[in-house]
Formats: sequence, C-alpha cells, structure tokens
Amino acid sequence: MTAEPHTAVPPVPDERTVLDTVTGMLHEVLGEYGLDDAEITMSTRFHDDLELESIDLVTLSAALRDHYGDTVNFAAFIADRGLEEIISLTVGDLVSHVLAAFSTAPATEAV
Amino acid sequence: MPKIRVGELDVHVQRMPAAGPPVDGPRPLVVLVHGMLIDSLASYYFSLGPVFAERGMDVLMYDLRGHGRTTRPATGYRLEDFVTDLDGLLDALGEGRPAHVVGNSFGGAIAYGFAATRPDRVRSVMAIEAEPPVRSWAAKMAEGLTGEEGGLVVKEVRTWLLEDPERNARPFQLAGRILDATTLAEDIPRSRVLDDGLAAIRCPVFALYGADSELSGQADHVAATLACCRTAVLPDQGHSVLVERPKETADLLLGWLEDDIHTPLEAG
Repeated sequence: MTAEPHTAVPPVPDERTVLDTVTGMLHEVLGEYGLDDAEITMSTRFHDDLELESIDLVTLSAALRDHYGDTVNFAAFIADRGLEEIISLTVGDLVSHVLAAFSTAPATEAV
Repeated sequence: MPKIRVGELDVHVQRMPAAGPPVDGPRPLVVLVHGMLIDSLASYYFSLGPVFAERGMDVLMYDLRGHGRTTRPATGYRLEDFVTDLDGLLDALGEGRPAHVVGNSFGGAIAYGFAATRPDRVRSVMAIEAEPPVRSWAAKMAEGLTGEEGGLVVKEVRTWLLEDPERNARPFQLAGRILDATTLAEDIPRSRVLDDGLAAIRCPVFALYGADSELSGQADHVAATLACCRTAVLPDQGHSVLVERPKETADLLLGWLEDDIHTPLEAG
C-alpha cells in the first residue's frame, strides 16, 4: 500500500505500525488482569483468546481515538455490527479498520 | 482513561460530542445510565452512544459507583447515593443544560429518582426495562439481592458462571466481586422510595419494555401514574432490550425525542 498523504499530518500508517500500536494498547488493557505479556497477532481474537470484556474495548477504543484522532471511530464500527459480534472480532479486523479509516476510499473495511 | 472527581469517587466518564455542523444555541445533552452488577458504560458506548452523537446530541456516559472503572467504595449503594453521584457529576463537569436521561434496568430507577430529585436538571427520562423506585421495586430488589443464598440475582449470577464454560465469564466474575466487596445487596432494598414523589416527575417520560419481561405488565400503570408518559413494548423480547435490540431501541428513543418532544436533531 502506497501512502499518499494529502496533508502533512497524520502520516498514513502501515499494517506493521498499526499492529504494534494496537498491541501496545492491548498490553496496557491486559495489564489490569496481570496478562500484559500475552502474545498478540493479527489472528488473536478479542473474546476467545484475550477474554476482553466490553469495558476493556471502551478503554481500547478511547486509546485509539487519543492516538489517531477522530479518524478512527471504533465505537461506531462496533455499533454498526452489534455488541454480539465483538465475540468474533480479531486484532486483524481492528488493524484493517484503522487502515481503512486512513485510506481515501470510503467503506473499504476488510471485514 | 478520563476520570472525574465526584465526592469520594473517581468516576470513569466517556463523552461523544455531537456530530454535524455548529448550530445556534446549545446541543441537546443526553446522559446514559447503565444497569446493575454485570453492566458498565460499555453497553452504551457500542450501541446508543455513537448513534445519539451522530444525530447531533452531546453524549455523556459514566460508570456507576462500584462498576466498570469507577471507584468501588465498600458502602453507600442506596438509590439516593447513585442519584447524588449523577448530580455531582454534572456539577463537576459544569454542565448547565437540562439532560435527557436514558436509564437501562437499574439505571432507569436512577433516572426516575434523579428526575424527581432534580426536576430542573432533567429534560426527559427514557427508561429501558426499568421501573420507578417505588415500594414494590424495593421489595423486588430485596428478593433479588438478599435472603437465602443471597437472593435471586446473586443466584442467577452464580448459575451463569457455572452453566456455560464457553461464555465470557469475566463480567460475571466482576459482578460476584461487587457483591462480595460491597454492601450493595443490603443497601439497594433500603433505598428511599418515591411512592409519594412520583408526582414530582413532571418531565416527559418514554418507557420501553420487552413483551416477555415481567416488567412489561407495569406499562399501563406507569403511564397512568406519571404526568407525561408514553410507553412502547417490543414483541418477542425479554429483559435484555438494550443488548439484544440496540437498533430498534435507538430508533424508538430518537423518534420519540424528535416527534413527541421536538428535540432538534441532525437528519438520520
């Protein structure tokens, strides 16, 4: 994916950078449960693998907004799919959502 | 994580500002109050919150005392404590606008209590599967939270934990921890009730029920008792209206706000 920034900031992130950022945020959230060394990959599932509950996803969502600004609206992303669907979401789904939010093409989330 | 000091508590708050171009005058404010034990502001953050913000309302969500990421004091869990917290939170935020207050389940009892205590601060109440905090409510809470083996609610939490190992157990473990670490179960049934104070609720009320929930039987009585109340009942739906029917809930609440009480909203 070639970055074509229309404005100076923020730079369009690549998959590796987004995964690293999200991993850092997840380790912070999991730290509350003493699980801050959990292995996190693109296929890690929020529910089945990390046992995150919804309030943890609020923390994650707020951290994403702090980091990326209003471009990344994870709350609306989940609201569109329904709370129940959180169960099947993977870290990769979130990374795709972040990348899609920064791409110029509308509505290209790879989910 | 945003925390606001309210009395002895650090209250976890999440806000979603209204979308849309600037408008003349203030945006409508909606405060979303979650339910008891297994609940937190997350129930709204991923359902009604973004939808209300999208439609031009400033959205305020918070974790109740003892719940989510808000401080968990050992004592002080009567309904009036939760009402005082909400009042104090709006003070701490310097919020002058009367709020539309949405309450889910126990959060609805708080919304009703707040509307009776601070009518100047409440523009409307939207109660989802909730009942006003009257004597019969307190009796039901006593049955649910206390008594042999800790009452029905406690039993339900424990059963949930045991019956399905696939289920995400953490929220229920947290609920068990609130019950173990606080006087919530004893305090709630001892709350000050509103039987003589329901007339103090003058604001418009929208009460939404699931048809299969036992609460739906109260719809007519609630409508008749309150000064200005409209009710709606979702067919084929139990108590978990907000979790299981979030889109219909949002449509019904926003439709009522716009059509019945003429709240200026962004186009949907």
